[in-house]
Amino acid sequence: MRVLEIGGGIPAAFAARFLAGFGADVARSEGAADALTSDEEAALLAGKRRIAVPAERLRALALAADVVVEDGRPGALAALGLDPHALRAEKPALVLASLTPFGQTGPQAHCEATNLVAHAAGGILSLTGARERPPLANGANQAWKLLGLHGFAASVTAWFGALVSGEGDWIDLSAQECAAGLLEFYGPRSAVDGLPGQRLGNRTTAIWGIYRCLDGFAGVCSLQRQAQALFEGMGDPELREPRFLDPLARMKDDKELAARVERFFADRKKAELLALGLRTKVPFGAVLTPKELLESESLAERGFFDEVPTPGGVARVPGRPCLGLGWRAGGLSAPAADSEAVLRDWLGGAP
Amino acid sequence: MRRLPLEGIRVVDLTMMWAGPYATHLLGEMGAEVIKIESPRAWDNVRTLFPIPGPEPWNASFYFNDYNREKKSLTLDLAQPRGRELFLALVSRSDAVIENYRADVLDRLGIGWDALRAARPDVILVSMAGFGKTGADRELVGFGPIVEQMAGLTSLTGYGDDGVPYKTGISYGDPVAGTAAAGALVLALIQRRRTGRGACIDLAQREVMAEMLGEAFVAASLRGEEPVHRGNRDARFAPQGVYPCQGKEQWLALSVRSDAEWRALCGVIGAPELAGLTAAERRVRHDELDAALERWTRTQDAAAAQDALQARRIPAARMLDSDSVHWDPHLLARDAWDFLRHPRMQPYPQPVPAWRLLEANPRPRRPAPLFGEHNREILCGLLGVAEAELAELAAAGVIGDAPVGAGVG
Repeated sequence: MRVLEIGGGIPAAFAARFLAGFGADVARSEGAADALTSDEEAALLAGKRRIAVPAERLRALALAADVVVEDGRPGALAALGLDPHALRAEKPALVLASLTPFGQTGPQAHCEATNLVAHAAGGILSLTGARERPPLANGANQAWKLLGLHGFAASVTAWFGALVSGEGDWIDLSAQECAAGLLEFYGPRSAVDGLPGQRLGNRTTAIWGIYRCLDGFAGVCSLQRQAQALFEGMGDPELREPRFLDPLARMKDDKELAARVERFFADRKKAELLALGLRTKVPFGAVLTPKELLESESLAERGFFDEVPTPGGVARVPGRPCLGLGWRAGGLSAPAADSEAVLRDWLGGAP
Repeated sequence: MRRLPLEGIRVVDLTMMWAGPYATHLLGEMGAEVIKIESPRAWDNVRTLFPIPGPEPWNASFYFNDYNREKKSLTLDLAQPRGRELFLALVSRSDAVIENYRADVLDRLGIGWDALRAARPDVILVSMAGFGKTGADRELVGFGPIVEQMAGLTSLTGYGDDGVPYKTGISYGDPVAGTAAAGALVLALIQRRRTGRGACIDLAQREVMAEMLGEAFVAASLRGEEPVHRGNRDARFAPQGVYPCQGKEQWLALSVRSDAEWRALCGVIGAPELAGLTAAERRVRHDELDAALERWTRTQDAAAAQDALQARRIPAARMLDSDSVHWDPHLLARDAWDFLRHPRMQPYPQPVPAWRLLEANPRPRRPAPLFGEHNREILCGLLGVAEAELAELAAAGVIGDAPVGAGVG
């Protein structure tokens, strides 16, 4: 599988990252020099070949590719001489995935966006953060990552279709729509009752939230069917009362219950709470940092992290997103270092 | 009409809650025939999580409906031998099985990888337990917010002045894992097409979530960096933030990427005295600039402010909430919502496929199935079960058209 990545931002780089790891020959046509930070490059460009070629060569490479993933503005591809309709007409099996903040059409298609702006337009921002404080963006550029993740899955799906039928497609993916369609329970509920979902901070209910614990923060997410096991695990005899066990009655005493859960967490460490989760089969979690996760025994056993040599040392980056399919870690190439090799391999003749 | 890419692919769907159903929803949107299996005694909890009063609340959940469209419903009690037999007969006629049980459940039911492969040698199994099927954490149980905490994302999110990490306002780990699972399943289909081999995929939801913050692992591994809570600020763009506008809960998100954008913004907000600040100065004086911006945004309608800034090529957007997103002029112009009819619910706007294949043009086709709606079609039509056996199966509780003892949650 040959993949041409054009544009240089996080969305296209993320979409093609998995493809490279799973074995595709990914050629990345560099975008602006500052499109990615050096840390983002180490995380997203491993295993890719990096090229800088004139526009007419880029067009030839697009026609030699199975999938083109790009995150330029609407019309940017055509301005490079790579009009998607023309490419599709010339090579019907080609899959093009265009990743933008607002899509290829509509009154806001050409609007300017950063991750925060795209995130605001998709709805998730409105639900994140404390009720009495401004909406809060989650970390690590999630609007762009979510767009890139959908770009990966949609591209391979369209390519499978092309293998079966010989017909590829042009996929118009917008960061706004990728988010707007997954507002959990809040999206459909608001669609029905017209009331916007509210920011609930870290607690949806007393038994679905995050609390301070002895060595940081930890969480619990208990469904009704797990509530009894949770209360027994907490060892508080009063929690056996119907007002806590009954899901509807519990709503009335949610604040009191939250205070009890808060006290329970405050005296315990993350590891104790996770052990309680194992014992009771109730979902407990701990707020772990990337540094802590780099030391995770479980992730090490599963061989999750790849090592990527960088100018700043050997970086450890998330590797294969699942077990059971082949994966290659890949190294980090220098910008434009692979232009000649890609032209030779993909187009057959001299560059 | 152009065919959808997954037409002709049959997926047996054992998933529940959100992560797995989101994956199979995507596959269904792309044309796969998705057969969702629930037991009369163990149904998808989302059907009854927020019940609407009525005779069949499990068939009238808008939450369930949004993420289970494009699927068929077959009820089978997999704890009973006949249920397992019928399940494996279905697997023998299917391309893939997907499940998000706790790591040990499939094997304990006697329908693990070996049993599936015996039923169909080139079957694809996608298992998507929270922490995977191997490793020290494999027995932990997790929903989306737990996965987010355990993957590092929550640690990166916070206002910065109180040390408190925040979870995303939705169970973000679920759709993230679901999207990756859909992609992994299709990759396995591609591999099978080339090699003739099936695949046993072990996808840990926590690991997919960790993929979403790769640069934070780079920073931690190279320089030992701990998370920094920036609120809505950015290391590159200053100022950047979410500012209150006229009206209740109306907000404007904006970023300044360059000196030129800053000068233009100062012109809009009437602050020429600040226009000469460099990026470094803007970062240092961010609090003061936030106050100046807020003085302006509080007098503005959010949509009008967005238009005023975008007219000057400054990145800005009115924040949409879970209601206004359905009435956003841009999304309406893109025909982003569909009032698909449902036999038990009033029509309401539901998202069309986000994967806009512009030529194949996938559109919503069928609402979420009623509980056991396709029992006859699948059991008799596909598996050749005699009509007469249906009543016996129902009497034995192997199949059913209503959950047994459905309450709340």
